[in-house]
Order: sequence, then structure tokens, then C-alpha cells
Amino acid sequence: MSKPRNRLAAALRLGAYLAFAAIVVAFALAAPGFLKLGNLLNVLQQSAILGLLAFGLTVVVIGGGGDVVTGGIDLSVAANLGLSAAIYATIIQRGYPDALAVVACLAAGLAVGALNAVAVTVLRIVPLLATLAVANIVSGLEFVLTQNSVVTASSPLLSWLADNGPLAIPVMAYALILVTLIAWPAVQATPSGLRLQAVGAHREAARAAGLPVTAYVAGSYLVSGLLSALAGILSAAYLTGSSPGSSETLLSVVVAALLGVVFSPRLTPTIGGAALAALFIGLLNNGFQLVNISSYWVSGVEGALILFVVACTPAQREALS
Amino acid sequence: MSAYARFGLPAALIVLIALFALTTPTFLTLANLKSIAVNHFAILALASLAMTLVVSAGGIDLSVGTAIDMAALAYIVILQQGGAPALAILGAVAGAGLVGLFNAGLIGGLALPPFLATLGTLFIGQSVQQLATNGGVPIYLIAGAPRPIFALIDASRLWLVGLAIVGVGALLTASVFGRRIVAGGVGPAVAFYSGVPVRRDIGKVMILAALIAGVAGVVLSSSVRSYAPLSGNGYLMDAIGATFLGTTFSRWGRANVAGTLLGVLLLSVVKNGLLLTGVSFYWQQVASGVVIFLVLALSFVSRREG
Repeated sequence: MSKPRNRLAAALRLGAYLAFAAIVVAFALAAPGFLKLGNLLNVLQQSAILGLLAFGLTVVVIGGGGDVVTGGIDLSVAANLGLSAAIYATIIQRGYPDALAVVACLAAGLAVGALNAVAVTVLRIVPLLATLAVANIVSGLEFVLTQNSVVTASSPLLSWLADNGPLAIPVMAYALILVTLIAWPAVQATPSGLRLQAVGAHREAARAAGLPVTAYVAGSYLVSGLLSALAGILSAAYLTGSSPGSSETLLSVVVAALLGVVFSPRLTPTIGGAALAALFIGLLNNGFQLVNISSYWVSGVEGALILFVVACTPAQREALS
Repeated sequence: MSAYARFGLPAALIVLIALFALTTPTFLTLANLKSIAVNHFAILALASLAMTLVVSAGGIDLSVGTAIDMAALAYIVILQQGGAPALAILGAVAGAGLVGLFNAGLIGGLALPPFLATLGTLFIGQSVQQLATNGGVPIYLIAGAPRPIFALIDASRLWLVGLAIVGVGALLTASVFGRRIVAGGVGPAVAFYSGVPVRRDIGKVMILAALIAGVAGVVLSSSVRSYAPLSGNGYLMDAIGATFLGTTFSRWGRANVAGTLLGVLLLSVVKNGLLLTGVSFYWQQVASGVVIFLVLALSFVSRREG
């Protein structure tokens, strides 16, 4: 990698951090409650669901490569979350214990991941299409299960997840931190994580080096499925049940995974970057609420952010020019 | 690629039509076929033709729904304010054209990748619509007043679709500009060094695609006689699906008008047929998802064995 590129990347990353800091400062000045510990913990709690989904998508993008159509992408994460939350709520409502609900959710999430994996690695359907078709099936199943209505559920586990844990920190905040602490080193530092990156960076070279390329790509979809199911459980806790419309979070997840790229040292998708990006979006949503700016602006600001970020990312631009 | 892979999509379409014709008495009636063409096919065909144009040029347009919505918004608001129908149509062209120009600036001017650029446009379009409608309240026109423009558009919607089919088809296969954008889509670097202004071309394509989507917006809001915010986004995933299903019909796996129309027809037939078979409303989405998945699997598996 050439020096100017490195310098540019460093400048860009600095710019992203500065933008992050500037927004925090702006909200802190405009809304007195913004920097209170309680509020920041709220943000952490509210970012947990988006964060887990963004991690899943990031893992898929790392393993599949950056091209959106032929590379790795998982458009089924949001639908998977919806199905998982619906399964959890339905099982609880019918009087079964939490343990069964958790197992069923994780199994369903893995099954969705497995279907994606088969579609992409065995049937060789391009990931954009394969995961789009799977997303349709999955949100159809959610529709069947909930009849497109709100399913309320309360259980010991759900209340515990929605509540504060030790040190008055929300349990979901712990969950986000815990998953980040597991996923970050797993993807960035373990042998399997590095091999996954090799597979995504140059599939033929990885295959020539003897890596089981197919297994790694398939594995990335399984991880994504599992993380989406976990996010679904958190969502069931946060909303005390399941409600339709989860697929609308898909684009925010894509944004978080993309923004994560600029928060990373070499402008590549990373877990740490995705975590920062999810927090960034969480802070943005929270700040807008506190300063009483209409939430109608949020998606516009997110859109402008994507454009800004991408316009500044030379790696993305080189692809076209 | 296996020579048979191309025929997966039409074969699936024929099998589905036969299946629905055998299982329901009403599927193969003239009235129902007309309903498929008018209700399911027309708007999705317009959105998918816009998508086909962009995908041919090597891009993707996540803001087709945004262009549909912005056209519909301008059209209905001008009519609501008592503007002349011609002015309303002009407004719709401007609304959709604005989306196209914005995309053209981002992709052609700033050289942003189309997926991300149009994703940004989609988000900004969401905010604009929410701000314009106080969070998503539909805009209805006062009932009772006769609106000949709606009847006119309703009656001519299939002609508009036909016009778009011929236009996009001729552009892609029989014009210099079409050859250039396909070259830019297949090999941007080669095209660029051969003297093709790749970025300027894709900018023009984005504007053209948004205008075609704008026609869909006028057709849609004329038929429901109102504007419902973000309703165009409902066509996005289907338009992508139809276009890429259609690529399986091409010898080279490229987006093409005939394939896209087959894809749109497949999606329309599945939706309509499932409705008629009386499959539980809630299972219909699963069933249509499974059908699309199977068609994709069939096409891609047979393609690989070539």
C-alpha cells in the first residue's frame, strides 16, 4: 500500500473521529442531558440491536469481498431479526419457558443463515439476489406467525434483558459490549478470522493457499444468521414482544456496516468500526430526540452521512474510475 | 454457461401458468389476465425497466422508489392546489428528474459507487417525504370533483408501459448510446480507455431511469387518486428481483428488456395466482419467496454446469 494512500486513510479516519466528536459536542451544548451517564447508557442500550446486525453483515462482507452485487452481502438480517422476535414472543405467549424460546430463535437464525449459505456457496446464486429472496421468505414466515400484528410477551428473561444490570448499566449495553469483545478479536486476530479476511480479499489466492474457501463463506452467513437471531431476542425484550415492520431496519444496518469502514484503520470493514458506527447512529438518533428536532430529519442526515463518507473514501471511488 | 440455463425463467413461467390454470377456474380468464396486466404488471414493469437500464450500465438504482414517490408527490400536490393536469405532469417530471439529477451528480460527477450513492438518495428522499407530509400522512384529493386526467392515465397505462418497453429496448440494443452504456457496464476500464465517457453516460442513464420511474409514479397515484408517502419503495425489491431474474435469460448473464419483462410477469403471475388459489393470505409471501428462490436456484445451477 502506497504512502499517500496511508496518509489519506489516516486523515480520513481522523476526520471521521472528529465528526463523531463534533456531533457529541454539538449535542452536549444543545441538550444539557445528553452527556449524562444515564443517557449515554441509554444510547448504548439502543445501539445494541443495530450493532449486532451490523456485526453480522460486516462478517459477511469481510468473507465475501466488497463488491455489492457479487461480493458478500446479507439482506436477510433484518427479516431474520423480525422472525426471531416473532418466534420468541409466540413461544412465550403460549406459555413455554424462556429456554425453549432461546433455543428456537437461535435454531431459526442458524437455519436462515444455512439457507443463505447453501444458496450462495452450493447453488452459486449471487449473494445480493440469494439473500433478497431469503429475506422475502423469512419475512413471509414472520407474517404467517404473527398475522402481521403485535405479539406482546413478557418473561423473566425478557424483563431481565430490558432492565438494568450491575452498576445500573442496562443489560443490553452489557450484551453489546460482550459481543463486541468476543467478535472483535475473533475476526481481527484469530487464525480463522484472518483466514476469513484472506478469503474475502482475494478468493483465488486463498484457495491456492489451501484455505477451505467455501466453508469460510458459508460460515460467515451462519454467523450472520446467529447474530440476527440474538438481535431478535434483544428486540423482543426491548419492545416486550414482536411488532411488524422490522425489515425497515435493513437500510440502517447497511449504513452502519458501511460507516464502519471509515472508522477502521485501513478503510476496510471491521467489527470495531461497525460498533463505532452503530454507536454513532445511536447518538445521532438520541441527540435529535433530546434537542427536539423532528425525527423526520434522521434518515436524511444518515443519507447525507453515507454520501459524505463514501465521497471521502478513495478505496470505494477507485472501483469506478 | 449451459444453453438450457436461459430457458429456466420462461419454463418456470409456463409451468406456473399451467399450474394456476389447472388449479383455479378463473386464472385463465380474459378478465383475470387483464387484471394481471393492469394491476400487477404495469407499475412494476416501469420500475423494472428503469432498473434494467441502470443495471445494463453497470450500476444499480436503490432510489427507483424515491423517483416514483417524488413524481407522485409533485403530481398530487399540484392537482390538490388546483393546478392544471399538464402542470401536474410537468411537476412529476421535475420531481423524478430531480432525483435523477441528484444521482447523476453523485455517480457521474463525484464518481460514487451507484449502490451507495442511490442508498443515500433513498434515505434523503425518505426525510423529504416525511417532512412534506408531516411524518407520512397520505395526501388525498377531494372526492367528487371529476378528474379526467386520472381516467386518461388509467386508460393509457399499458400504452405507456409499451412505449417504455420499446424505448428502453431500442436504446439498449439498437442505439450508439445504448452500445456505449452496455460497454461501460461490462468493462468500465476498457470502455474508458476506448474513449467512452463512462461517467457522463451513467449520469445520463440515472436521469433517464428516474424519469421512467416518474411515469410509474404518475400511473400509481392516478390509479389510487392519492399520494401515500414511501409507497414507491415497495417496488424496489421486486424491481431488483425482476431485473436480476431477467439476467438469467441473457446468454451473457446481462440485464435485458425481454428477461426483465419475463421476470416482472413471473412475479405478477405468482402474486395473482396465489391470490386465486385461496392460499392463506399470510402464506402467500412465503410461497412467492420460495418460487423466486427456486427459479434463481434453477437458473444459476444450470448456468454453472455449462
